[in-house]
Amino acid sequence: MTDAAAIRMLSAMTSTLVHTETAIEVSGVRRAYGPVQALDGVDLTVRRGELLALLGPNGAGKTTLVEILEGHRVADSGRVDVLGHDPARRQRAFLERIGIVLQEEGLDPNLNVGEAVALYSAAYPNPRPVDEVLELVGLGGRAGDRAATMSGGQRRRLDLALGIAGDPEILFLDEPTTGFDPSARRHAWDVINGLRELGKTILLTTHYMEEAQVLADRVVVLSGGRVIAEGTPDTLGGNGESIVTYRQNGRIVRFTTTTPTMDLAPILTAAAERGEELEGLTVTRPSLEDVYLELTEDRS
Amino acid sequence: MTTRDLPLLGRWIAARVRMMMRSPRALGFTFAFPLVLVTLFGSLNADQKVTAPSGATVEFTQYYTPSIGVFALTLACYTSLIIGVATARETGLLKRVRGTPLPLPVYLGAWLIGAGVVGILSVVLLFVVAVPAFGVHVYADMLPQALLVLVLGAACLGSIGLALGTMAKTADQATPLAQLTMLPISFISGVWFPITDAPSWLVHLAGFFPLKHLVDAFSACFVPGGSVEGGDLASLAIWFAAGMLVAVRRLRVLDGARSRLIPSFR
Repeated sequence: MTDAAAIRMLSAMTSTLVHTETAIEVSGVRRAYGPVQALDGVDLTVRRGELLALLGPNGAGKTTLVEILEGHRVADSGRVDVLGHDPARRQRAFLERIGIVLQEEGLDPNLNVGEAVALYSAAYPNPRPVDEVLELVGLGGRAGDRAATMSGGQRRRLDLALGIAGDPEILFLDEPTTGFDPSARRHAWDVINGLRELGKTILLTTHYMEEAQVLADRVVVLSGGRVIAEGTPDTLGGNGESIVTYRQNGRIVRFTTTTPTMDLAPILTAAAERGEELEGLTVTRPSLEDVYLELTEDRS
Repeated sequence: MTTRDLPLLGRWIAARVRMMMRSPRALGFTFAFPLVLVTLFGSLNADQKVTAPSGATVEFTQYYTPSIGVFALTLACYTSLIIGVATARETGLLKRVRGTPLPLPVYLGAWLIGAGVVGILSVVLLFVVAVPAFGVHVYADMLPQALLVLVLGAACLGSIGLALGTMAKTADQATPLAQLTMLPISFISGVWFPITDAPSWLVHLAGFFPLKHLVDAFSACFVPGGSVEGGDLASLAIWFAAGMLVAVRRLRVLDGARSRLIPSFR
């Protein structure tokens, strides 16, 4: 029996056990808008406690997929399971367990921060205390501010506060740091990391590869309504390949390899014997951005 | 929505009233504007007498204060509700609520009731000023009926407002929808001057809409020996039921999985 077959058998035997570890399970999901096939058979699994980054160019189907998972939209076909619920039924017991942070959701201009969090959390069975929520998102001490007087970054923090006020098990974050300056983005990453440490399952959509690289346990790339790649930020699409570059006799030598040590050994030995220093020798892995651009370019 | 949601409904009503009391538009529109109207026209027509719908001849302000009171109630429960709900939809507030376990009927029901509370408060404020300033008489034995008319009127205007507010997609659509229905109907309904001399077809047309019945019923509470006509209350009740029927259907659509709150493609 091959290793792969053994693993498949093992996972089949433990599927009931595995199921309870699964937060989101999607298979064969399709959704069309008139002639446009926005989702063309998407499979996706998100484990509990995992932070999954959903990447893809504009129009790839990210928003449609996330809105189907949130219960905002219905799939034409396929199976969708989020925490054991079909989101399309929009059951209250389901909505009590998820938190949604979208980009374009309005805020009541005449409520202050503390009132808004207290009011929205009142609908949940086990809300997180207001002070704790504000502290978590970095709005501690700002409970008296009105949404109308807040900066864009602070409003996004309030959005996040309202998303986690009900202490959800799954958090959907739609481009949470778009429009942030670098220091605000760092802070937002700390907040998101803090939420992950609380054991939350987080589905993040983002256009920033660095964000996915820093935060995500796993990355899924969507393009043309299909999953075209998935893996950890470090292994995604690269097949474990490394890029070796150095300069020799004024020429730049560059090659990709899965076995840099074996390939470099004779080169290094030969150079050392000649007493030659290989200028600018580097062994790097392709960045997530390199991989992403290559992947999405092929398709467009 | 179940009985266990009543505390939640109470919280949202209190919050809605607080939000409206903080909103410059609501304060100016619902409280200040009617007050200015009564003060201005009350002073200009201090010695005038008019014929009330009941046929009695009364002082100008004795007729004008309750009818402008109905106007204030209309601004709070109808105009502001339509524009407010449409704005909430346009800015994504309804979408936010839809992504939480807060039932949309609780959220919008609290808005309807909160608007009624604010509307009735604005009518009370109007009398608090007009009674000492213009000597408007309030008949103690008619107060329970006056309050009943106000509550029924607020429910009627609010249910229609909610029905229309959930149909409009943007504040730009909602504003003409609210103003172009409210203003002409207010003219033929006797809000601004008694329509006893108007041609009969116009009176019949006005009688189709609830506003004339609301003005007649509420004014009747402020003339000596006046009494509220059952027919006026029946019209308000029928319009309330019709408004609720449409509003509840609209809510089902907005709350459903194929809701148009979520744009069809982005």
